[in-house]
Amino acid sequence: MSADRVGLGWRGELAAGILDRLEAFDVLEVIAEPWMGKPRRDVRALRTLGEACPVVIHGVAMGLASSLPVEQGRLDAMARIVEEARPSAWSEHLAFVRAGGFEVGHLAAPPRTEATVAGTIANIERAARVVGSPPGVENIATLVDPPASSLDECAWTRAIVAGANAPMLLDLHNLYANAVNFRREPLQMLLAMPLDRVAMVHLSGGRWIERRGERRLLDDHVHDPPDPVYEMLEVLAANAPRALTVIVERDGGYPSMDQLVAQVDRAREAVRRGREAAGALRRVA
Amino acid sequence: MSAAGIEVLLARLYADAGLRSEFLRDPAAVARAAGLDPHEVAALQAIDRVGLEMAAESYERKRAGKAP
Repeated sequence: MSADRVGLGWRGELAAGILDRLEAFDVLEVIAEPWMGKPRRDVRALRTLGEACPVVIHGVAMGLASSLPVEQGRLDAMARIVEEARPSAWSEHLAFVRAGGFEVGHLAAPPRTEATVAGTIANIERAARVVGSPPGVENIATLVDPPASSLDECAWTRAIVAGANAPMLLDLHNLYANAVNFRREPLQMLLAMPLDRVAMVHLSGGRWIERRGERRLLDDHVHDPPDPVYEMLEVLAANAPRALTVIVERDGGYPSMDQLVAQVDRAREAVRRGREAAGALRRVA
Repeated sequence: MSAAGIEVLLARLYADAGLRSEFLRDPAAVARAAGLDPHEVAALQAIDRVGLEMAAESYERKRAGKAP
């Protein structure tokens, strides 16, 4: 499938290296929040960047996955970024980040219940109306199994993306971390996700942490994607009908641009192998 | 209690180290004081404590502007 695209997350620390190697990337993903509240001419720089290499916008603080409504100001701010930058898509997390006036500070998993399914669908539908298009909704990594849940992660995610008719951004390291942390089989979890709706993919890495003899994998975005994540990408590409936009994410501990380009190339090769396997199966059938 | 009650309590537990310590000593009392119903109190009593502590520390680092 020729429409598959593979690229890198835009970060200020990587900007010069990315611009120097722009031909290595099919797409760049820009975090929305640092651009919110900036003058219009600054935000329009993203449109200029998009003329050199297609851009997608990624939000990290909206708090879509909640029984509580998203703040209108955050929807308006995202709408303005999307209007000015004109990305090919935008995305947000299936997470709550605040409640009752308390800021968590990062992405937290709500109880996986019918109530949060309904609240999240309402939030996604409202976001789609305000911004003008639905977000790709991203599964998150969690170190704590959310209490009071009546649905498992895959069933909860399927109910949301189907109910909201939204595309999915499947973060394979988040999925892998949740699988190993809560004793699930990563590939089984992958195949239980709504693969027919996956349009975007994130690849990142993490580190093992330990407390009272219990080890868990923390998704920190400052380590390379591990081998199983590339294997999952290949399986995903063999099973996902939509064109995929794949982004390698890195938030710190930056390796050389050559190493990041090698990770993008490895992801591109995994997608190619997966598509080839799917094609071979179709020919046999 | 509405479905939002657990989200609010979780946000407070992640953001407030003092409340978290109190909760880890007596989760049922803190959950009842937050207005949760008996079913929700039972769910909070059974919470994954190691995960709660790991997650809270990770969020504290993010709020401080550090890597998780």
